[in-house]
Amino acid sequence: MSGFLEGLRCSECIDWGEKRNTIASIAAGVLFFTGWWIIIDAAVIYPTMEEFNHSYHACGVIATIAFLMINAVSNGQVRGDSYSEGCLGQTAFLSASHSARIWLFIGFMLAFGSLIASMWILFGGYVAKEKAIVYPGIAVFFQNAFIFFGGLVFKFGRTEDLWQ
Amino acid sequence: MSTLTPLLPLPAAPQFPVSSGAAIVSSLLGPGVLNSFALVALSFSGAIGLTFLMLGCALEDYGVYWPLFVLIFHAISPIPHFIAKRATYDSDATSSACRELAYFFTTGIVVSAFGFPVILARVSVIKWGACGLVLAGNAVIFLTIQGFFLVFGRGDDFSWEQW
Repeated sequence: MSGFLEGLRCSECIDWGEKRNTIASIAAGVLFFTGWWIIIDAAVIYPTMEEFNHSYHACGVIATIAFLMINAVSNGQVRGDSYSEGCLGQTAFLSASHSARIWLFIGFMLAFGSLIASMWILFGGYVAKEKAIVYPGIAVFFQNAFIFFGGLVFKFGRTEDLWQ
Repeated sequence: MSTLTPLLPLPAAPQFPVSSGAAIVSSLLGPGVLNSFALVALSFSGAIGLTFLMLGCALEDYGVYWPLFVLIFHAISPIPHFIAKRATYDSDATSSACRELAYFFTTGIVVSAFGFPVILARVSVIKWGACGLVLAGNAVIFLTIQGFFLVFGRGDDFSWEQW
């Protein structure tokens, strides 16, 4: 990912040294929690089920679980840097890096799935039915978009290089 | 340096790395004055922030005390930083995942403290004027808390010598 970023000819503005991790963490925090406050706002304004079916909250919950899964494994574990043993015994039927990759794969699938589901909710549940009040659908979409991008920023915006 | 003798017996140089202006002030007035001045300034700004918050609740036009719940967010906002500091006391220096997680949660608490009055105003529990006052109070109080960390968070080595 760092090679891609340097190709943007912005390597001076991305590589701020040790501040980069701090800024990435703060930006990810703003995105993630803004997403949740958007849906809290919609849920408070439209408490009835006709205007805002509250089972749509499941989309944001799955997105949050995906966020936690993606950020629970470090990039080093996925690359296979650590010496830790793998799953299922010492013979390493699944080595640590394989387990980390499967975990990351499932996490990203849940993240993409919740993003697609939020778009489906917006278009299928609100736009296609031509409902008078569209704001809850937009809120669900923006919640999941913010959580998704917050997860991406938190995962890829930080570097694990100790020597910069 | 040893050939130059000062005309006045100046007190010892300050123990903390600060700008030269602060060094001059503290060398003239004594070692603990700058931290006392910072403490007074921070307590003043904290009082102003709390005043904004109370004005948003207690004015004649408003009279609704629900916004006082943002004080909970103010109280818990330093906690992730202290947990991370405790958990990684072997000073991993630059990149510590625990420290970044603490920044993440602290940012979330700050965002929540700003979002809560906005939501209260959107459902007309409080008026938008009260919401504006509460948001201003939030900003001042969080700047005060950040000021505390900047001034007094430089480390435990020499913080007690300034008193």
